[in-house]
Amino acid sequence: MLSRTAEYLYWISRYMERAETNARLLDVGYRMSLFPNPNGYNNEWESVLAAAGAIQGYKNKYNIIEQKKVEDYLFFDEDNPSSVYNCILNARSNALVVRTSFTPESWLAINKTYQEIQKLKNNNFNASDLPNLTEWTIEQVNLFRGSLSSLLRNDGYNFLYLGLFVERADNSARLLDVKYFVLLPKPQYIGGNIDNMQWSILLRSLSSFRAFRWAYDGDVTSTKIADFLVLNSDCPRSLSFCIQNIVKHLKNLTCSPEKVNKIYNNLKDLNIKIQEEKIESIVDFGLHEFVTQFINKISSVDSDIQREFFN
Amino acid sequence: MFNEMYQSESLIRNHYNNINEWLEKMSAKVINEKNAEAETHFRNIGITFSTNSETARERIIPFDLIPRIFTFSEWSKLEKGVIQRAKALNAFLADIYNQGEIIKANIIPKELIFKKKSYEVSMFGFKPPRSIYSPIIGIDLVRTNHNEYFVLEDNCRTPSGVSYMLENREIMMRMFPDLFHTNRVTPIDDYPTRLLQTLMSLAPIKCNTSEPVCVLLTPGPLNSAYYEHSFLSDQMGIEMVESTDLFVEGEFLYMKTVDGPKKVDVVYRRIDDDFLDPLCFNPNSVIGIPGIMDVYRTGGVNICSAPGAGIADDKAIYIYVPEMIKFYLGEQPILQNVQTWSCDKDDDLNYVLDNLSDLVVKEVDGSGGYGMLIGPKSSKSLIEEFRRKLSINPRGYIAQPLLDLSFSPTLIKNQVEGRRVDLRPFCLMGEHAQLSSGGLTRVAMNEGSFVVNSSQGGGVKDTWVLAE
Repeated sequence: MLSRTAEYLYWISRYMERAETNARLLDVGYRMSLFPNPNGYNNEWESVLAAAGAIQGYKNKYNIIEQKKVEDYLFFDEDNPSSVYNCILNARSNALVVRTSFTPESWLAINKTYQEIQKLKNNNFNASDLPNLTEWTIEQVNLFRGSLSSLLRNDGYNFLYLGLFVERADNSARLLDVKYFVLLPKPQYIGGNIDNMQWSILLRSLSSFRAFRWAYDGDVTSTKIADFLVLNSDCPRSLSFCIQNIVKHLKNLTCSPEKVNKIYNNLKDLNIKIQEEKIESIVDFGLHEFVTQFINKISSVDSDIQREFFN
Repeated sequence: MFNEMYQSESLIRNHYNNINEWLEKMSAKVINEKNAEAETHFRNIGITFSTNSETARERIIPFDLIPRIFTFSEWSKLEKGVIQRAKALNAFLADIYNQGEIIKANIIPKELIFKKKSYEVSMFGFKPPRSIYSPIIGIDLVRTNHNEYFVLEDNCRTPSGVSYMLENREIMMRMFPDLFHTNRVTPIDDYPTRLLQTLMSLAPIKCNTSEPVCVLLTPGPLNSAYYEHSFLSDQMGIEMVESTDLFVEGEFLYMKTVDGPKKVDVVYRRIDDDFLDPLCFNPNSVIGIPGIMDVYRTGGVNICSAPGAGIADDKAIYIYVPEMIKFYLGEQPILQNVQTWSCDKDDDLNYVLDNLSDLVVKEVDGSGGYGMLIGPKSSKSLIEEFRRKLSINPRGYIAQPLLDLSFSPTLIKNQVEGRRVDLRPFCLMGEHAQLSSGGLTRVAMNEGSFVVNSSQGGGVKDTWVLAE
């Protein structure tokens, strides 16, 4: 497989995953805007922007943070490199280059999404359309992921999934980090409305709101939620799940075992730690510090992959 | 004027009877539905092109539902004629890059060849495998009468359009399966396999495997034929590479893969000579593979088409193709050339200036139907503009009579109307010389228009060759 092909496959799933994350974040913001607006969480759109890593870009363009503008910036704006529109555009132009390396179904899933978002962009949408837009995005991404099941289980497949889980690991960790600041001073027990709201934002944005209820009994505590999102390997967006899948698809690569080993060695400690660690000791160590380390590690694995395989 | 479907106003040609019945049964509603289906299909598979204009919006070429049909015997004649021409053009290239017999025989003046930019000096004295310089030749033909075809131009570098030929057939089979039950249409879907066989049969001398590694070299997604590049490499199951994926080490060319370097034997390049090798051609080019020409000349890799093959489809060389056929093959040309006046000759120039309003004037280096004058269809002021251009730079132009391109029935706003068509079949030259069993029919969608180029409102049709 061409190095460039591997690289493009890797980025296609990163972009598709990112499109979904943005759509979920918008969905959360939209939901929050429907609730009464006392002090404390009226600036939800700001944390949506922060979680999307788009706050600087947004502020360069607009002076005030308001719903319509945030929606537009995160969904359609061509100036925002991570807008849903740009993600789909990029995924599609990468797919155009490597359509020979995946199935016609995967190409169609991406290209149809691209055709439709062009039309959506030209329609003037209003704020109440947002749930449809986000639902549509998630559907399209699911269609794409579903199409991958018809792929040959070769290195191309593994690079697609490496991209998916590197992106997801990064997105999940950043979300945790953003919300971490809001929640840090609060007591362990979560009872107040605001707390509930904050945690539900986190869970919803990771598409884990209902799953959490099924996975844990009893009271909602910040420790349980942290455990769920960091260590629980049943949760498909937890840091632990992402890491394990990165390792799995890395080890499934048939090309260059030395390169695979080199990257794995960089990742090994974190992988072992995340499987053995208890959430209490992570919280004692500092959740923020842990998440920061995690983000740095993922970013170094990402550059390892790019350096070893794509150059 | 010749109509492909109607022998006379009331008489349908035999081989169009089925199509005529089918057309009569088809309601406006069905036509609309099928047109929309075809458009959606083309957008979904991504068979789009971008024109040179700044607006990079992807466009699709209008597709006409009515196929253009050739009988077996009509096609057999074309087949012989095109293959004959392709052989002569390759023989010409082998000659002018080696002994130059045709120049010594005073058939073609040497200035005409050696002064051309498309003549590649670095190819002198080198013969590619099987002496084939141009393995894929697209010949643009028009029909003016039942048994009368003219060659408008030869495309010896990297002719495009074959993906349209194949996709047009796919969509027709999908939308109108019954048509293919009632008509015996020769399949064309083996073209990519034949293309791959052709490329593999042109492995370089240092290649010691029976399965040479072929790649398709594309300039990248911004190229207007990019869809075709990815389509062909997909159909052939070969890598589509950009020049940054390739590098030279020692005597060979390699591509960068996740496994490390992998040797490449044959490069089907869809980029221009200028961008092949910055060490040899354009030192300012940021794209290209440094050193590939050295590997090529020492038999480590084959480049298809060969650098410098473009001289054979130069508009000034075109005039001599019938002579080439006689000289190299000892045969009479089966397909005719269009009478051509080259304005760098004084007599020709004077004739052209005196008859501008009857002639078609083309730029020697032009393409895409741009920068040409269609005298009988043009305003006085445009004719005068060309008169000035010709006087200033006569070398830059040729002139031809306006040919009466045949009409093919075409759906215009759900009505069947006659529109002018041309044809580009694709000839493969490898171990065997063979013609695609069909080609790309382009149609001038505007009433009375002679210009079939997609950049100027041209459409395409499926092209059928009926089995014997």
